[in-house]
Amino acid sequence: MNGKDNKQNTEMGSRQTIIERIRQNKPETKPLPGSFTGNQEPVSKEQLSVCFRESLIKAGAEIAEPDGNEGLEPYKEKHFPEAVDLTDTAVRKKYSSEISKKELEKTGTVIIEGQFGVAENGAIWLDETNFPNRLLPFIAERLIILLNKENIVSNMHGAYRKIDLRNTGFGVFISGPSKTADIEQSLVYGAHGAKRLTIVLFD
Amino acid sequence: MKGHAAKARQFLSDNERADWQDKALWAVRQKRDVAAGSVREWEQLREQASQIKENVLSNLDNYLLQFEQAAIQNGVQVCWAEDDRQFNETILRIIRDHQAQKIVKSKSMLTEECGLNHFLEKEGIEVVDTDLGERIIQFRNEPPSHIVLPAIHLKREEVGELFHEKLHTEKGNSDPTYLTAAARVHLREKFLEADIAITGVNFAVAESGTVVVCTNEGNADMGVHAAPVQIHCMGIEKIIPRTEDLGVFTRLLARSATGQAVTTYTSHYRKPKPGGQMYIVIVDNGRSEHLGLSAHRNSLKCIRCGACMNTCPVYRRSGGYSYGSVIPGPIGSILAPVKQMKDKQDLTFASSLCGSCSNVCPVKVDIHSQLYKWRQEISEKNLFPKAKSYSLSIVGKVLGSNGMYNFSGKAARWALKNMPRRLIYNKLNTWGWGRELPEVPEMSFKEWYKKNGNERKRQ
Repeated sequence: MNGKDNKQNTEMGSRQTIIERIRQNKPETKPLPGSFTGNQEPVSKEQLSVCFRESLIKAGAEIAEPDGNEGLEPYKEKHFPEAVDLTDTAVRKKYSSEISKKELEKTGTVIIEGQFGVAENGAIWLDETNFPNRLLPFIAERLIILLNKENIVSNMHGAYRKIDLRNTGFGVFISGPSKTADIEQSLVYGAHGAKRLTIVLFD
Repeated sequence: MKGHAAKARQFLSDNERADWQDKALWAVRQKRDVAAGSVREWEQLREQASQIKENVLSNLDNYLLQFEQAAIQNGVQVCWAEDDRQFNETILRIIRDHQAQKIVKSKSMLTEECGLNHFLEKEGIEVVDTDLGERIIQFRNEPPSHIVLPAIHLKREEVGELFHEKLHTEKGNSDPTYLTAAARVHLREKFLEADIAITGVNFAVAESGTVVVCTNEGNADMGVHAAPVQIHCMGIEKIIPRTEDLGVFTRLLARSATGQAVTTYTSHYRKPKPGGQMYIVIVDNGRSEHLGLSAHRNSLKCIRCGACMNTCPVYRRSGGYSYGSVIPGPIGSILAPVKQMKDKQDLTFASSLCGSCSNVCPVKVDIHSQLYKWRQEISEKNLFPKAKSYSLSIVGKVLGSNGMYNFSGKAARWALKNMPRRLIYNKLNTWGWGRELPEVPEMSFKEWYKKNGNERKRQ
C-alpha cells in the first residue's frame, strides 16, 4: 500500500471515529421546528417596491428605470453600449466556461438578468442559468442587473421558498457593489468584485 | 504566559488607542441595534435559529452523513479530519495531488484554529489571505484580533505605512479608498494566478450538500471561480438541515455582525465548476468531545457573528489579543476552556457577567451563564491559581458568617477612611489597580436600618 492510500484510509477511519463520537456524546433528540412563519401581514406590491429600492440604495447600489415608452433593448444600447450583455445568446456562447481568465480580466461592464429581488435587504438572486461563466459577475468592473419589477419578494424566507438548491451548481445573492470597511471602519466600494452595481427595473 | 488581566493592562496603557477601539466597536454594536430593531420578528427569529441549532446538535451524525451523501452525488470530494494535524495534512495532500503552488484563502476561523497557513508555509507553499483585513494582518504577521473585523485594532496610518512597504503605495498616504484600490490590484493578480482557492463555510445545508459563504468583498467568489480547484473547510457544527433554514440564518447573521441587512454576497456552492474540482473538508478538532459536555454544548450553536465581542465592555477595553486564543471575546472565553481548562481558566473572569453578550447573541447561546458555570467547575477542580483560591476561600468564609461579615465591613470602612492611601492601594490589592474604591459611608445598611427602621416603627 503506498503512502497516499494510507492517508486516505486514515481519513475514512476518521469519518467513522467522528460519527461514533458524536453518537456517544449527542444529547437526546430535540425536534426540528416547522417552517418559520413570523410576520404574516400582507404587503402590497407598492410597499415591496419602495422597500426594495430603499434597501438597494442603502447597500450602495444604483437604480435605473427606462421610462414606459422606451423599451429595454434601446435603453441598454443607449446607456451601456460597451457592455457584455449576457442576455444575448451569442455573447453567452463567447463567454462560456472555456474563456481564459486573461480575457475575462478585461471585462468592463456586464449585463445579467436577475431572477428576483428581496425587499428587506436588496439582495438579488442569480444562478448558473443567468451567466455562462461563474467568474463573470465578480470579475466585472461594473455589474448591471436587469430585474422585472414584478419579481420582488418580501424577505429571505420568501426568497428561499423560490429557490431549489438541487437545481443549481452555484447560485448567489448579490445586494450591492463589493465593499469593505477593513481599514478603520471606513466604507469603501470596490474591494474585489464589481465597483458599481446598477439595477435596471423593467416592466 | 501572561494571562488576560496582564495583557489587558498592557493594552490599556495606551489610553488613547484603547478609547478609540472602544468607540469603534461600540459604533458597530449600535449599527447592530438599528438593524435588529428594524425586524419586527427579531426575537422569534432568534428562537427559531436556536431551536434549529439544538435539533442539529441532537442529530448531528445523521445530518453529516446526509450532507456527505448529497455532496458526493453533486460530484464533490468529501474529506474528514479528526484534528488540526489531520486537517492540515489533508489540505497538503490535496495541494500535492494537484501539484499546486499558489493558494488563495478567504476568511476561515477554522483554518486559524488549525494553524493552516503556518503549516503550509513550512512546506514551502504560499497562502495568500484575500480578505482585506486578513491580508493586512498577514503582512504584519499577526493573528486576527476580531473574528469579523480582523484588523479593527489598526489605524489607517499603520495600514498606510504597511502598504507603502509591501505594495509600494505612496509614502504618507493613508486614505482608505486609495489603500483599498492598491490591495484590489495586488490581490486581483493573486486570484488569477492561484491554483487552489480555500474558503471557510458559514452554513452547510444537509439536504442538498450545499455550502454557503457570506462576504462583503467578494473575495471568496473571486478565489473559488478563478482557481481550478476549490476547497471548503467546515467544522462539524456548521450543518443546517434545510434550504429554508438559510432564510432564518441569513436574516440574523449580517445584522448581528455589522448591522447590514445582508452581506453583499451570499454564495451557494453545490457543484464543481465545469472542468474544475471541489472538495469539502469536514473537521472535528475537539467538537465531538465538546458535544458531550452537557453544561457547555450550547456554545456549539455559535454562528461566529462577533456581536458578543462588540457589545462586551471587557472586550472593548482589553482588545482581541488580550485573550490569547484564536476566538477572543465572550464566546472565545467559553470555547477556550473546553480544550484548555487550566491554561484558559482566567478567561472566564474576563467578564463582568453583565449578560449583554447573551442578549445580542442571534442563536441564544447563554454566554454569560456559561462563563459563570465555567468558574464554578474550574473552582471545583481546584484549577485556579493559588492566590485566587486562597482569597476566594477567605471571601467565602467571611460572606458565610454573620459576625465576620459585620466585623469586616466595619473594619474596611474604618481602614478606608483612616489608613494612608498607599496602604490600601498596594500591590496585593489587585482590585485597586485599575479602580478607585467608593466613598465610605458612615455606617453599613444593616446599621442604618437598625437605627432608622426602629425610629420609623416608633412613629
